[in-house]
Amino acid sequence: MKIALCSSFVPFLYGGARNIVEWLQTMLEKEGHQVERIYLPEIDGPDLLFQQMAAFRWIDLSAADRVICFRPQSHLIRHPHKILWFIHHVRVFYDLWDSPYRGFEDDVRHRGLRDALHQADTVALREARHIFTNSQVVSDRLQQFNGIGSEVLYPPVFDAERFHSRGLSDEIVYVCRLEHHKRQHLLVEAMAHTRTPVRLRLCGSSSGAGYPDELSQQITRLGLQDRVILENRWITEEEKVAYLADCLAAAYLPLDEDSYGYPSVEASHARKALLTTSDSGGVLELVRDGDNGFVAEPTPVALAQAMDKLYADRGRTAAMGERALARLDELNISWSHVLKRLLA
Amino acid sequence: MKVLIVNNMAPFVWGGAEELAVHLQKNVIAAGHEAEVLRIPFQWEPASRIPSQMLMVRAFELWNVDHVIALKFPAYLIRHPKKTLWLLHQYRQAYDLFDVGQTNLPAGPAGEELRTLIRNADNESFAESRRIFTNSEVTRQRLQRYNGFDAEVLLPPINDAELFGGGPVGDYIFAGGRINDMKRQYLLLDALSLAPPHVKLLIAGPPDSPADGERLRAAVERLGLSDRVRLDTRFLPRATYAEYLNGAAAVAYLPFDEDSLGYVTMEAALAGKALITTTDSGGILSLVKHGETGWVAAPDAEALAPVLAEACSNAQRAASRGAAARALWLSLNIDWPHTVEKLLR
Repeated sequence: MKIALCSSFVPFLYGGARNIVEWLQTMLEKEGHQVERIYLPEIDGPDLLFQQMAAFRWIDLSAADRVICFRPQSHLIRHPHKILWFIHHVRVFYDLWDSPYRGFEDDVRHRGLRDALHQADTVALREARHIFTNSQVVSDRLQQFNGIGSEVLYPPVFDAERFHSRGLSDEIVYVCRLEHHKRQHLLVEAMAHTRTPVRLRLCGSSSGAGYPDELSQQITRLGLQDRVILENRWITEEEKVAYLADCLAAAYLPLDEDSYGYPSVEASHARKALLTTSDSGGVLELVRDGDNGFVAEPTPVALAQAMDKLYADRGRTAAMGERALARLDELNISWSHVLKRLLA
Repeated sequence: MKVLIVNNMAPFVWGGAEELAVHLQKNVIAAGHEAEVLRIPFQWEPASRIPSQMLMVRAFELWNVDHVIALKFPAYLIRHPKKTLWLLHQYRQAYDLFDVGQTNLPAGPAGEELRTLIRNADNESFAESRRIFTNSEVTRQRLQRYNGFDAEVLLPPINDAELFGGGPVGDYIFAGGRINDMKRQYLLLDALSLAPPHVKLLIAGPPDSPADGERLRAAVERLGLSDRVRLDTRFLPRATYAEYLNGAAAVAYLPFDEDSLGYVTMEAALAGKALITTTDSGGILSLVKHGETGWVAAPDAEALAPVLAEACSNAQRAASRGAAARALWLSLNIDWPHTVEKLLR
């Protein structure tokens, strides 16, 4: 089958929104399909949005048997066999309207733009043969704002067989970009409250120097240099596999994220218990407290207690790691399921 | 610097321009920059949908990009304050091909309106570009003639030069590249049927459509040439393609009025192979000089037959013309570092 994968992008920015597209491309090609990947630029500013939406409307992909659209506003593309794997709205006009992220006035003009956007989106969404989302959170939003039902199709990680466990060390790892909303600082502060010799490793690059510097100072201030390792760089895939293979457990505690996040799925493939917080949003679709990890209150003390438990009761930690792998099956997080559903 | 290369995409078709964009990206990165390729879908059929697709390109907003290098119509309509064109194609069916009646634009006022629209949009894009380079002298002249803009010719380098080391003069003529009516492989078959029986032909390359490949196979059958023609219509691994080319007596490439020097002829010249083309092949003639680097014949079987015969009959002559072709190619000094430097100037 000729399949066009369509998404929007910001040139030179790489991350999860591209991974889901490119990994799917690889899997479809392995199955013998002809795949064309189409990334088109988009800026979400209120004054520029609609002309760009028109551009998406004018794309001619009639050469494809089916199109699968991801990041907004690619769902506006017209095609008789349009499938959406919808990963988010232009959120400042939806769930982030009443938030500091909006960045423009709540006035008649912008409310008009918002209403027009909702209408246009709803029309385009209704054109789709089938709508999948990457999380229950996003499905709920589609229902709430557009009145449209959808099916959750959790995005698997690439080449999951790489991940494995070779025992439990004393170290909890957090493999993720160093950004304030990923809250590495909360874990560092929690480390000051732990009572066991549990260790912490933070690794990832950052969009700026500010946050990594703050983390580094925080570690020094709290005298945690010998128990917390900060690697401010994009580690290699091999390093990541090795860290996850050896670690005690893996942390992932973003603030109210839409989806469960690749770091938690990769750690689950490595049979490691997960540590997250009760306000982490979509991560809670994956992690159940006491089952495949711990869901702590987002406070240093509560996190410290969870970290100590992971360290002290290794038998239970190991069992939760096994449950983490099993949980992926329960949620159907696999490429075979994804391909079956997208090609149905 | 963040360099965005903007090119068209005919969905599910991969050709020379796509290959060029990828190699440009690779070489911009090698020069110490970041580079990414933006491929914008474009379907020229039906012609009535060309204007909306032009608007589409014009409506895109770019952010986080320091420099744009745009290659084709309508990709070069994209707006950016620092845009350099390396023009591979205008929409020829609105220009020179229109003039010779090879166009998909409708006749009458509707077609005229489309032509005006395309010309105006082109002119605006050319005017807002920092620099315009073209991939050939033919493209440069066309731009000058139809749009009145000056440009500098910047010939595309060979992408994988290391493959074309040459080899002994073989006993066959090699015709490589995409197979379609514009490339006129059928003309070589017609000529071969008039040439002496020792002349052999190897045609290798992907047909644009299954029908293009089928037509060629049928012609071989009809002309009774199956023992003298080898057809390899796979999408060839580059190494296999280079092996065919390096072992040939001469390399024939007879597209109708091609804009560029043609990769097939560039690679053949680098490999020291004598070249064969026709008087109406356009940019190819910049490399093929009759009696020096190869043979130029009229585009008919009668004129081509003796050329094929001569190329396969006198190895010494084929070798010396091949050596001259190589010398001519090397004298042009076409390499990636210079090309990238000019495009980012």
